[in-house]
Amino acid sequence: MKLAELEDGTVCRIKALHVEPELKKKLLELGLFPGQVVSVVQKAPLGGPIKIKVRDYCLALRPSEAEKIEVENCNG
Amino acid sequence: MDKKIITVAVAGNPNTGKTTLINAIAGTNLQVGNWPGVTVEKKEATIEYKGYTIHFVDLPGTYSLTNDTAEEKVAVEFLIKEKPDVVLNVVDSTNLERNLYLTVQLLELGRPLIIALNMWDDAQKKGIIIDTKKLEQLLCSKVIPTVAPKKQGIQEILESIIEIYEKKEKPKCILHFEDNFEEELRELKKVIEIYQPVLFSIYPERFLLLSIIEGNLHFIDIPLNENILEKAQEIRDKIKKLYHKDISTFIIEERYSIILSIYEQCVKESVHERLDTTLVLDKIFLHKIFGFPIFLFFVWLIFEFTFEVSSPFVDWLDVTLSEYIAPWVYNALTSLGSSQWLTSLITEGIIGGVGFVLVFVPVLFFLYAFMAFLEGSGYMARAAFLMDRLMSFIGLSGKSFIPLILGFGCNVPAVYATRTLENPKEKILTVLMIPFMSCGARLTVYAFFVTIFFTQHKTLVILSLYGIGILVAITVAFILQKTILKTESHMFILELPPYRLPTFKYVLTNAWLKTKAFIYEAGTFILATSIIIWFLLHFPIGVKKTEDSIFGNISKTVAPIFEPLGFGNWEATGALISGFVAKEVVISTMGNIYSGEIIEEKPEAKPFKESLKEIGENFVQAFVDAGKAILKIFGIETNQIEEDENQEDTSLIKAVRNAFTPLTAFSFLVFLLLYTPCMATVFAIRQELNSWKWTGISVLISFSSAWITSFIVYNIGKIIFNG
Repeated sequence: MKLAELEDGTVCRIKALHVEPELKKKLLELGLFPGQVVSVVQKAPLGGPIKIKVRDYCLALRPSEAEKIEVENCNG
Repeated sequence: MDKKIITVAVAGNPNTGKTTLINAIAGTNLQVGNWPGVTVEKKEATIEYKGYTIHFVDLPGTYSLTNDTAEEKVAVEFLIKEKPDVVLNVVDSTNLERNLYLTVQLLELGRPLIIALNMWDDAQKKGIIIDTKKLEQLLCSKVIPTVAPKKQGIQEILESIIEIYEKKEKPKCILHFEDNFEEELRELKKVIEIYQPVLFSIYPERFLLLSIIEGNLHFIDIPLNENILEKAQEIRDKIKKLYHKDISTFIIEERYSIILSIYEQCVKESVHERLDTTLVLDKIFLHKIFGFPIFLFFVWLIFEFTFEVSSPFVDWLDVTLSEYIAPWVYNALTSLGSSQWLTSLITEGIIGGVGFVLVFVPVLFFLYAFMAFLEGSGYMARAAFLMDRLMSFIGLSGKSFIPLILGFGCNVPAVYATRTLENPKEKILTVLMIPFMSCGARLTVYAFFVTIFFTQHKTLVILSLYGIGILVAITVAFILQKTILKTESHMFILELPPYRLPTFKYVLTNAWLKTKAFIYEAGTFILATSIIIWFLLHFPIGVKKTEDSIFGNISKTVAPIFEPLGFGNWEATGALISGFVAKEVVISTMGNIYSGEIIEEKPEAKPFKESLKEIGENFVQAFVDAGKAILKIFGIETNQIEEDENQEDTSLIKAVRNAFTPLTAFSFLVFLLLYTPCMATVFAIRQELNSWKWTGISVLISFSSAWITSFIVYNIGKIIFNG
């Protein structure tokens, strides 16, 4: 499953990051490594960014990037 | 004995309260500038403490130190080259895990570290219990809980800085990765010792080894020996084979596994149900339907605060300078027997120039205060979140929206508002778009012209000008984005920090620091330009008509390039040139030019004592008016603030009516809208982008797009109206 497809409130584990190396490095450094638990908090209107929660903080990503983050073991 | 000078670099993630902590340590000693060659803000402060001079340098807020971004390069370069005596790592206690990532990297750089566990009170409220003694032990660094707004922990930080400085010992702590990998690091070290041992005397060992293996060579200035590069490649291949991971992923995950183990040993989270205010506020502020109106309400508030509340102070400065100080100086100089032109230079050129600088001070102060509040409270990130979709169409992100909107008030604060944009390309693109946002000063010129030529369609004409500005801005952004400023690959990762209420002191200190930086940097250029323009207008000495001055001659030379736009006369050209000083002087210059003479105003001076009293009274009145303006924003009308009666200069109107047709007037207005913004904006761009090159490009783009657009408008108009 992809992070971009999740409904608000879903909690998942990251499985893999299918993104270009530069972005991958950034995401990893921010703690979005495989195995990490993330939850989708809120989506901006009109296909805008997605607010996610990683450990103790919140991040916003564009759907185009969330599309490339594969997740598993979801329980909303 | 010499004074002991200690250099302290302050490092930390964004949104950790780093700025507040530095404010708490250094107070008003703080200075804001730029790092050389880049658009990254640099804050510095020097304080005296127990006979030591402690020099704090605030490194840009970053999550990491190994990326190829301006901020991270600046930080690493400083840590490697300047070798600060101590690094103060400001950490958000409520978000320790991610914050420690940077801490681990700082340890790799081998500088002595003090870790400030900031927002300690928030962590306690959240039920996060951190064992500081254990943390100290595991990270071999001093760990101090701090609450910046309450100055808690400041004393301990200063004491520790001195202690570390006096001990002069390097931290011996190495956070070990996997054994296999540590073995590889030792092998690489051997290779370097054989072929290029000099590297170890320049760069910190562990940082160097990891950088070479990862292929992060942009931090290393000297070419590396072939054997070293080969060895690094060999290690990369080995890791890939062994762990099925690329080297960057491997190293980052290793760092995180160290962090997780430290975290588990030092942090206990007692989970207790409590209302998460941030979550609730985000439900409102980021609401699918209400989010936008709330945001627009805030934008309107910034506008009102920046331009309405500051305007009584602007007027006060203006009146004080032109009605009191200028006449005093005039009288003083005349009584001293100074020549006519020297008096004019001082009262008009210099005091006038100072005036151009000072009138921006209240505006910028209010803007900065409001921006500091939005930034410090965490709402700015939400604004970017909401506007991102819209701005992404022209290759920008949500963060560019506020600076662009502010441009409609005044371009100068708008340019400074781009400071919140971290991506350099996006920042440049936004700055290049701002001059096309039609500012308040330009409106005064439109207003004058429409009452002469377009009495039937005043609003329509003015609105069309604003529209043309926006269209040109979008077109320019689109072209730049496809050519020299490709931003599409840039990623949008935005932290949404918890909402916090910034302290009043934080907001005001921040606003004042940045306003001060404007006065010193852009102010100098504005004053110089104002003096140069004065010389152009008044030379050769004794010149009676503007037409015969250097200014007039330049105007005549330049005029033919405006022929294809319909206003190729020197009068219109002269007015446009003066518009470079400030758009609001265009009309008065036209007055000068069309009346044919330089109007020398003989200011009347009032008695000194009485004047001082009046200036004071006016200042108090300015506060009253500002208060009224605030009340008005919230819908509470007090008695109407009186508007200035426009003194209609009938001879000027007649002259303008003869010189322009409605079509050439419109073409002129289009040109005025788009061409080179005023000098204050140009120097603001210079200061903010820290580059003459981009400033030049901005001026060129404005000028050429003004010419092209006016040309199109004029010629289409000619076809339509003249058949």
